Amino acid sequence: MQLTYLEAIRQGIWEEMERDPTVFCLGEDIGIYGGAFKVTDGFIDRFGPERVIDTPIAESAIVGAAFGASLTGMRPVAEFQFMDFIPCAMNQISNMVAKTHYLWGAPAPLVLRGPSGGYVHGGPFHSQNPEMWFVHNPGLKVICPATPYDAKGLIKAAIRDNNPCVFFEHKYLYRRIKGEVPTDDYVVPIGKAQVAREGKDLSIITYAAMVHIAFEAAEILSEEGIDLEILDLRTVSPLDRDAIVATVKKTNKVIILHEHSRTGGLAGEITAIINEEAFDDLDGPIVRIAGLDSAIPFSPPQEHHYLPKLEDVVRESRRLKAY
Amino acid sequence: MARALWPSRMDDCATEKAIRKPSRFPGSRVTINRAPAAPPDMGNNKKKSKHSSNGHRGGGGAPVRPVERSSSGGNHSKKGKGSSNLRTYSIPDFRLEHPDFTVHQSTDKNGHVRYEVTGDLDAAVPPIRESKCLDQQQAVQIYRYMMLNRKMEMALENLYKQGKVVGGVYFGLGQEACSCASAYALDKDDWFAPMIRNQGSLLVRGFRARDTMMQYMAKADSPTHGRDGTSHFGDIEKRNMVSPISMLGDLIPVMSGVALGARLQGRNIAVMTYIGDGGQSTGVTYEGINFAAVQNLGLVLIVESNEWAYSTPSEMQYRCKDLAERAVGYGIPGVIVDGTDACQVYDAAREAVERAHRGEGPTLIEAKMMRMKGHAIHDSASYVPRPLFDFWKKRDPIARFENYLVCKKKWLTGKENAELVAEVERVIEEEREVAVNSPMPTPESAEGGVYCENGCHEIKPKYGRPKAKKGTAAYKETEAAVHLK
Repeated sequence: MQLTYLEAIRQGIWEEMERDPTVFCLGEDIGIYGGAFKVTDGFIDRFGPERVIDTPIAESAIVGAAFGASLTGMRPVAEFQFMDFIPCAMNQISNMVAKTHYLWGAPAPLVLRGPSGGYVHGGPFHSQNPEMWFVHNPGLKVICPATPYDAKGLIKAAIRDNNPCVFFEHKYLYRRIKGEVPTDDYVVPIGKAQVAREGKDLSIITYAAMVHIAFEAAEILSEEGIDLEILDLRTVSPLDRDAIVATVKKTNKVIILHEHSRTGGLAGEITAIINEEAFDDLDGPIVRIAGLDSAIPFSPPQEHHYLPKLEDVVRESRRLKAY
Repeated sequence: MARALWPSRMDDCATEKAIRKPSRFPGSRVTINRAPAAPPDMGNNKKKSKHSSNGHRGGGGAPVRPVERSSSGGNHSKKGKGSSNLRTYSIPDFRLEHPDFTVHQSTDKNGHVRYEVTGDLDAAVPPIRESKCLDQQQAVQIYRYMMLNRKMEMALENLYKQGKVVGGVYFGLGQEACSCASAYALDKDDWFAPMIRNQGSLLVRGFRARDTMMQYMAKADSPTHGRDGTSHFGDIEKRNMVSPISMLGDLIPVMSGVALGARLQGRNIAVMTYIGDGGQSTGVTYEGINFAAVQNLGLVLIVESNEWAYSTPSEMQYRCKDLAERAVGYGIPGVIVDGTDACQVYDAAREAVERAHRGEGPTLIEAKMMRMKGHAIHDSASYVPRPLFDFWKKRDPIARFENYLVCKKKWLTGKENAELVAEVERVIEEEREVAVNSPMPTPESAEGGVYCENGCHEIKPKYGRPKAKKGTAAYKETEAAVHLK
C-alpha cells in the first residue's frame, strides 16, 4: 500500500508494540496529543498510558529512563520532539548509553528517534542534522532513512536490535513523499546501504532527504547523457564500507552529498574510506556537497543558500563528468 | 517485621523547635520544619490522589502534604494571624545531634585565601540511635561489612603505595555506615547503583573485594576486564547493579527507568542510588528525581552530604540549610539521618525501600557526614580546616558502632569482635592475593564488544513478560495538522 514516510514510521512502531509487550514509548507530548508531528497519534488509546508515557521536558531523564528500562529487558522507544534537542541528553547518550556494552557488558536495546533536517524554515533550533555527533560515539547505531519502505523496515529493525539506535526522521519527507510499503512484516537490515539508482558515469553517495535531490538531478542529467548512480547509505553508523567501495569501483567518480555542515561531516569519513580502499579506482577528485559551516539560518532565502540544492548537484556532476 | 519507623513522640528524637532559619525572602510561602512534627508519615496519604500519572498504583499520590497542625510547639500554625498562606512541611530528622558550624573563605595575615570553620566543634559525641528494626544478626552483619569496607580500602592504599594501582584510589573513609547500611536495606530483587565512595555497598550486594581491587589495578579478570576502573562496573543478571559513570547525577534517571521497566513487568521494586552534596548541583539530578516523582517510581536516593566536593565546601554548592529540603520541591518525602550512624541509615533506607515496594514512590534521604580523606589518594585535603577532621574523627562510624554492639547491646563479646576483625583481615588478604596475581589484559583485548551482536546477549524481561492491556482503538492513518509542514 502507498504510505507517507511519517505513516510508515508510525505503522512500524505500532506493529512492534502489537507484537512485543516489552516495547513502549516515552517522550514529550506523545500521549493524548500524539506527538508534535503526530507519529504516535492514537497510540495511547490502543496501548494505554502505561506504554505511551508523556514525560516532563527533561531530555536527560527521558534517555536515562529509557536506558534504565532497557536494562530490565524492555525495549523503549524515546521520542525527541526535534532532534535539535538531543544535545540536552548528550551525557546520557555518549557516556552512559553508548559505552555500556563495551565497558561492562550490558546491552541497551533502546531507540532514540525524532525529526531532523531542514527545508522547512524551522530556524537554527528546529532544522539541524546532528547525526555526526553520534557517528563519533562508538556503540550507537545511527539510522537515516530516505523512503517510506526503508523508514518502516528500519524502525522495526531498530526496535528489535539489541543496541542503542538513534533514528533520524527527515521532517521534510514526513508528509511530502509516499511510497509502496508491504503489509507483511519485514525489516530492513541496519548497516546496509542500497544502490537506489543504477548508473555508470558517477556515484552520488548520500542519504535521507538528499537522496531525493540526487534523483531529481539524475533525471535532468540523464537528458544530457550523464548517468548517475545513487548510493543511499540508509545507516550512517556503522557505515557500509563494502557498498561505498563497490560503487567507487564501478563508476570511478564520486560526489558525497549531505545536508549537515561540511567541516567534520560524513563526507570526510567516506573520503578517507575511499582513500584507504579504492584510491586507485578514482578517475577524479572526490567532490563534497554539504551545508555551510554555520548555524542553519531561519529566513527562507538564507536557509536556501545554506542547504545543498538541486543546482549544486547538477553543476558538480557536470564538472566531475567532464574531469 | 512490623515497621513504624518515624519517631512518633517528640521525646523520642532530637527536637529542633520551630523554624530555625527565617525565610530569606519576604512573602515566602513555604516554611520547612525540620523537627519531626508529624507521626510516621512518609506520604501514606489516606486520601485518594487525584493525580493520574501513568502507571500510578493505588495508594500513591503526592506524598508531601502540608502539615495541618504542628505538634512541635504550634508556633507556626497554618491559620495563625497574618499567616494564612503559610505552609509548613515536615522533614523528619533522626539525628541525635545537630552539628552547628559553617565553613567560609577568609584571608589570613599573609594574604592567602583559606577555608575557615566557625561554630561549635566541641559538642559531645552522640550515641548510636536504637534501630527500630535491626536485630542482632543484622546489626553484626552490617558492622562486618563496614569493617570489610574499611580494610579493603586500607589494602587499596597499600597497593597504591606499592605502585600496583593504575590511577588513583577513592575512599569512603567515614562513610562506611552510609554505604553499607543503606545497601543492606535492599531486597534481592531490588537494584542499586553506587557512586565512587560506595565501595562498601558493592560488598553488601555480593561483590567480592577482589572485584574492586582488580578494577583499581586494571586487571584482565576485573569485572570490566580492564576496560574501566574503580567501582565502574555492573551486573544486570544477578546482583542488579548499574555501573556508575564519572559524571554525577546521571544514575538518578537511569535508576528511575529501571523501576519503570520493572513496573511495566508488574513489579514494584526499590532502586537505590547515591549523590553527593556536590553532585546534586547537576541539572540531571533534578531531572531524574522529578521524573521519579511524577511517575511515582521507587527511587531511594541517598544524598551523601559529606561537606566537601573535591575541594569545595557544601556552603558553596547550595544555599538551603539541608538538602533534604529539596524533597519538598519535588513533592516527595525527605528525611535527614546521621550518616555515621548505621542504625539511622538502615532504618530510613528500609522504610524508603518498603515505600517503594508498596508503590508509594521515591524518597530522598540526606545522610550527614564527612569525607575523611581527600577527593582521591593524590589529594591531601589540606584545604579542609583541621578542626573539622578532629570533630568528625570522634564520630567515626565503625568505632562508634563497635562500641554500641560490644558495650551497649552486648551483641558481640570482645573476643567475638576480635575474631570478626581477624576474619575480615584474613578475607582481605586472600582477596588481595587473588587480585594481585590476576594478569594484565592483552593489548588486543581493547577490541571488540562495542556492539551487542552475534547472540552475545539474550534480552528478556527480568520480572516476566509485561501484561500489556490493549484498548479497542484500531490503527488509523493520522491526518492531523502538524508543526512545520
